[in-house]
Amino acid sequence: MPQKKILTFLSRSAPYGSDHAQLCLDMALASAVFEQQVNYVFLDDGIYQLLKDQNAESIGAKTLGNALETLELYGIETVLVDAVSLAQRGFSTADLLLPAQPVSRAELSAVLRDSDAVFNL
Amino acid sequence: MSCLHLINRSPVQGALPVCSTLVRGGDGVLFIEDGIYHCLQAELISNLPPDVELYCLREDLLARGVGSRVTETVESINYSRFVELCCEFDKVVSWF
Repeated sequence: MPQKKILTFLSRSAPYGSDHAQLCLDMALASAVFEQQVNYVFLDDGIYQLLKDQNAESIGAKTLGNALETLELYGIETVLVDAVSLAQRGFSTADLLLPAQPVSRAELSAVLRDSDAVFNL
Repeated sequence: MSCLHLINRSPVQGALPVCSTLVRGGDGVLFIEDGIYHCLQAELISNLPPDVELYCLREDLLARGVGSRVTETVESINYSRFVELCCEFDKVVSWF
């Protein structure tokens, strides 16, 4: 049995303007299925994915917020949100649909250092 | 010749910094798609001249869960009004 890798996903895109957010989630879920240790981080515009009350029916798309709830189902327990990105955009953790843990840039930097691979989308 | 300027990218990715230097009185700026995130923080659009009409597309607000957070200087419109605006202004400038 090969050793588990620590994979960190930096999700940095808003939910509906491009498919980056969905693709990043798909990669992380696939990695979790193969029993890798996954860290999922919302950074920059990625924090917009976490806002409550999304309903993409009005623009004929799938609501990404619902899909994010599958992170936990796939055993991805380390879900982090960059505190600076959140504050810059005028939001707090109370606005988020998931209990993502706010982290500082120093903490995030340590997460990257401890990862075997980092995906940035 | 009045212009309707369309902004469709988020504040960190978008072209508003250059667009706002070219907007003139009587123009309009319409925020659509990820551009609507500009309308959640008044300071992001404070560089635009005061005699410019500001609009954002309601469908894009609702999709993103931010329908109730739009700053009061921006008028939220539907697709029909979007079409009307395209006709009311002399031309449309897309900052995609």
